[in-house]
Amino acid sequence: MLDKRLVVVSGKGGVGKSAVTAGLALLAQRNGLRVLAVETGAPGGLSAHFGTGPLGFKEREIAPGLHALHVVRSEALLEYLSLQLRLPGMGRFGAVARAFDALATAAPAVREIITIGKILWEVREDRWDLVLADAPPTGQIGSYLRAPASITELVPTGRIREQAEWMRAILADEATTGTLIVTIPEELPTTETKETLAWLQSKALVPEPLVVANRVLPEIESDATIPGPVGEMAELHRSVWSQQRFWLSELPPAIELPYMFGLFTPSEVAAQMADHLERLA
Amino acid sequence: MTRTVLIAGAGGVGKTTVAAAAAVSAARAGLRTLVVTVDPARRLASALGLGNLGDEPQPHEDEPLLWAAMLDASASWRAVAERHAQPEVAARLVDNEFFAAASEHFPASQSYAAADQAATFVQARAWDLVVVDTPPSAGGIDFFAAPAQMADLVGGRLLRWITGGSLPGRRFFYDRAARPVLRLADSVLGSDLLSRVAEFLVDLRTTYDGVTQRGREIERVIGGASILVVTTAEPAPVAEAVRFFRELPGIATRPAAVVFNRSLPISWVDPKIPSGAPAELVANAERWGAETVRQADVRAGFAARYGARVATLPWSPLAPTDLEGLARLIDDAEGLPSDLFER
Repeated sequence: MLDKRLVVVSGKGGVGKSAVTAGLALLAQRNGLRVLAVETGAPGGLSAHFGTGPLGFKEREIAPGLHALHVVRSEALLEYLSLQLRLPGMGRFGAVARAFDALATAAPAVREIITIGKILWEVREDRWDLVLADAPPTGQIGSYLRAPASITELVPTGRIREQAEWMRAILADEATTGTLIVTIPEELPTTETKETLAWLQSKALVPEPLVVANRVLPEIESDATIPGPVGEMAELHRSVWSQQRFWLSELPPAIELPYMFGLFTPSEVAAQMADHLERLA
Repeated sequence: MTRTVLIAGAGGVGKTTVAAAAAVSAARAGLRTLVVTVDPARRLASALGLGNLGDEPQPHEDEPLLWAAMLDASASWRAVAERHAQPEVAARLVDNEFFAAASEHFPASQSYAAADQAATFVQARAWDLVVVDTPPSAGGIDFFAAPAQMADLVGGRLLRWITGGSLPGRRFFYDRAARPVLRLADSVLGSDLLSRVAEFLVDLRTTYDGVTQRGREIERVIGGASILVVTTAEPAPVAEAVRFFRELPGIATRPAAVVFNRSLPISWVDPKIPSGAPAELVANAERWGAETVRQADVRAGFAARYGARVATLPWSPLAPTDLEGLARLIDDAEGLPSDLFER
């Protein structure tokens, strides 16, 4: 994944998508890459894992070579209007900016193109070895990845369409773009992951995604049963483990990341995540 | 008097299971109980007797005082249009290409629809207790702002933005003043997108009075409900639970309890290691012991910082999928405000 220029990380809410993104970003930075990590969801989701305060729309260097930003939609909109659509002098309260903001709520694909457009713009500008997007959850990822294609269907000509066309090309390019779907081996996340994979495959908008299974328990080989808490822990562990193996068997072969027992802070989790990813690489 | 309990919290923490379990337990305690759920896993739905789709409450075959209903959140905008707009406007709205996009982009509309339907059941006064599971994508604190946000949306905030005028909503002003400006913008952008969206918003504006009035009724029902916030000890859902104490809007009551699902028993902290226990199991006990400490720490921190009542549900590897399993989950809970589910 680290030889791509863009890695889009998605997954059902609550499976550790931001932690995986942060771990990958730290690993890429350790390897000397110039990295941009992009937070798209609620503020703090990704930045907590870096142990930094809130991120702004302008990227900030949070470790040598590692930059991060948060896509603030109103600012991304202004940037999109001025840089991409080349409508200059868009004040914050300009009539077109206001109209566009309303459009973004009511029209398909416009809101998404502003967010994904910012990410793809950073890839196209060639300032980074790797752009890592902590993308929207799998429930919404389809409308983001499809946005450039939807726009080209909706808008026959003009600048919006021209911008959508290069975005579509970057997303679909196998050498440039990678997609990770993070999941945990439980019923609902597995079901949602399978649905997302099937949808992505049918639309061919991005190269084939890799699946990352998070919070996977190690196997206990001993089948001894003993009374008291030690035995209870073994019993719970075996029982959760066998459930997990079942749900993993329902998925395509996945990269497995371990359950992190007893870790308190998001930045501890991200650092360990980077260590595990390094061992896998 | 119908009591209402809202089961809230981040997605993926087991809200639907907790709602179902609480309802089964209440029905067994002699309360006529309705559980309103959103998108349950298949086996849970069948445990509740929800074989076929449909948002009408269905009595459970094996549990005399239990009813269940499943919300269809995606039908929300259609319902708003059909209830609050003139028939020909409603037909135009439902057919509009922007209609589906707007409901997808506006999660408050799903919460509004869920709250609307739940409020209808509460107002029917046919049950002693209505347990409401909140939508997975919007079960957090934003649920409570949904009626106000919905009214704001159809009330023309977007329309004002798009037309730039201070008196939108009347076709006359739109035709004379705003349309030419939008045409100009559209010609630069190379489409008629803005004009088409504005037409849609003008139609949507006609639902305003109905949506506002209904919104106030919904807020009254929400305001009278007891809230149980469900979470696990993971950082993201805990952060959502915290918002219920720091940012709860005035219309809602303070949560009756925060329910930590997947809690490990406190006896697992520093357990006595029996002599002769295999090394592998001893190592395993260290891992789970550390996890138990972390969980207890998170719970204690939450209780101390927010003065919250904290309850725990045990970690069961298999989510319960029958009435017995659901009832047992509540029996095994600690610290639940059980008066909510008793006569």
